[in-house]
Amino acid sequence: MTVWDHALLGVASIFSGPEAFSVLGISISITLVMIALGFLMGITVGATPGLAGPMAMAIALPILISIFGYSQDAFLPVMGFLIGIMKGATLGGAVPAILFNIPGTPDAYMTTFDGYPMAQKGQAKKALKVAHLSSVSGDTFSDIVLVLCAPFLAVLVESYIDLPEKTGLLILSLAFIAAVIGDSVGKGLISMGLGLMAAMVATGEDFYPRLTFGMPELAQGFPVATAILGVLILGEVFKSIEDMVRSGIRPRDTIKSTVDGDTLTFKDVKRLAPYIARSSLIGTIIGALPGIGSTLAATLGYTYARNRYASVKAQDDPAFGEGAPEGIAATEAANSAVSGANLIPVLSLGIPGNAAAVFLILGMESIGGFNPGPSVFRLPSDGINPELVMAFGLFAAMFLTNGLNWTIGGVLMRAVGVMARVSTEVLLPVVLLLTLTAIYVQETSMAAIWIAVGFGILGYIMRRVGMSPLPFVIAFILGGNLEQTARQAFAATGGDPFFLFTHPIAALFMLMSLAVIVFNLRKSPS
Amino acid sequence: MFSRLTGDKWLGLLAIAAALLFIFVWVPLDTETGLIEKVRRQVRLGDSLGPVLAGGVILIGGIFTFARPNADAATLTRHNLRWMVVLLSIITISLVLMRFAGPLVTSVLTETPYRALRSTPPWNYIGYLTGGTFLIAALISVARGKITLSVMLVGIVASLVFALLYDLPFDDLQLPPNGDV
Repeated sequence: MTVWDHALLGVASIFSGPEAFSVLGISISITLVMIALGFLMGITVGATPGLAGPMAMAIALPILISIFGYSQDAFLPVMGFLIGIMKGATLGGAVPAILFNIPGTPDAYMTTFDGYPMAQKGQAKKALKVAHLSSVSGDTFSDIVLVLCAPFLAVLVESYIDLPEKTGLLILSLAFIAAVIGDSVGKGLISMGLGLMAAMVATGEDFYPRLTFGMPELAQGFPVATAILGVLILGEVFKSIEDMVRSGIRPRDTIKSTVDGDTLTFKDVKRLAPYIARSSLIGTIIGALPGIGSTLAATLGYTYARNRYASVKAQDDPAFGEGAPEGIAATEAANSAVSGANLIPVLSLGIPGNAAAVFLILGMESIGGFNPGPSVFRLPSDGINPELVMAFGLFAAMFLTNGLNWTIGGVLMRAVGVMARVSTEVLLPVVLLLTLTAIYVQETSMAAIWIAVGFGILGYIMRRVGMSPLPFVIAFILGGNLEQTARQAFAATGGDPFFLFTHPIAALFMLMSLAVIVFNLRKSPS
Repeated sequence: MFSRLTGDKWLGLLAIAAALLFIFVWVPLDTETGLIEKVRRQVRLGDSLGPVLAGGVILIGGIFTFARPNADAATLTRHNLRWMVVLLSIITISLVLMRFAGPLVTSVLTETPYRALRSTPPWNYIGYLTGGTFLIAALISVARGKITLSVMLVGIVASLVFALLYDLPFDDLQLPPNGDV
């Protein structure tokens, strides 16, 4: 079967799955319903300050697994829902940023700079429309790049990379993530080392489960979802509640700006187009690099656009920070363009680049039957590659979400403004209980809850000392794979201890790992 | 514990000490095979190599953090430690309530052991509702700096919604702590 046949099957699988209901005799598949629900939830979560897309994905995943189980039929509904959340949250984050001057998600912070001043001038409707147009454009562009690049990257990797090179590539990815994220290279490395250490507990080839102190509770190692939810979600909840305890709960300006005023004209769109295009490109490039998130993409997009705008703006146009629609366009296009491109390293290499991708990989691993990496895009000489069909199903789910985004996203944005009124001090303890419950129903053990709390404390401490928890999480996910690949490479090279340096491409990856550490080390810690 | 200006130096030293302890004490004592081992004339990587390399990464990170500290870096303060004690106390009490409230109430009101009732409403909800309500109410009260009746209501409603969310549609799922008793 050709690539085209696989693509058609993938698209068809979205529409032909188990039926949820039928309208006028037309069957609506459960996958379509889950994509729409995920998108709706994503916009709502994004519009709720204190919540973020990855948090909702983390909480939803165990519930989804409980509903759909571990069969291959579960793959597209579950992943469709998660993708819907991921894309919806980026869009929703702009709503409170514009209406209330509160970013719904961290990457919407720069949207407040021009969005809120526009709302104050009575241009809230126009500001929301600019955010919607830019966000959806950036997202769609990024998805197109994903579809075009991921298979080629995977084929390239498959052609030139053997076991030693794969080991080198994993080391390079980890080195890159440790070096570029967070306060300093040193802290990134500590975070990564802790993640690798946690991944080593109770694994290995010997009968004795290593590093467990002989405790039977640890004999199976740390449950992946438990540890990740602990570090990423509980750690953030613990920190945010403490922030409120220490600095008090600030009353929010809940006087919503009226959602009316100027609308977006074709002339406006034409003027904004170059800013959207440039930021989409910036966001896509940033998204494709492991470890760099949408907040940096938004910052770069905004900064670049500000410099450009300063040189071309007319005298009576508002400057950036005073209600320039170009500022919203640049920020929203950049942060939304990350969401498609961050799947390039996930699908082609099996390497998650940011928190949202971590939960997508976790979803794929939990359900099984789909192992992200170069083998996904392998075209068999005979028959079909089910993973390739699933990959095209994922692409179709992404474009369907974009379709929803283009059509009803704008209306939903205006409707979810009310979420900014939800009190964070009420929301976070509720999220904590829900997360602990989700962990319990998956592991059915109070010990798992304690392990999650332990990892939550670790995540809290990391945040307090300025250490990003993301290198920990990514190293924890990739640690087992790295050790296994290194073992196989060592065996395949006849026990050559220098296999990482005697193979040219592997040696190049090692050199690049060293270079990325040294280069980032030269920057002053900030 | 950590002085403000030397927070990164302390963190670096702590990481170096932890890494050395990990590499030279924990790994040798708690791993059965060495760095490299020979099995049936084949040389292969032992179970100690991965953990030692992980410890090495922490060691290098600790050295970098110590050698190039950021004077403006966030540090762990006494307030943070106090918060961790408060937080862990609340979580511990709520998990203890969650674990023992159901068996306790059952032993007072019925002759049947809790284990036999752990899938039967309302008995199976008692622990979860008690512990969940306490967790939510206590944390909201700490955040607001005052205790009101409304936070209890929020706790009860949220716990009940989650209990019903998991218990009604899924026969095979168990609420905490019913899988442990």
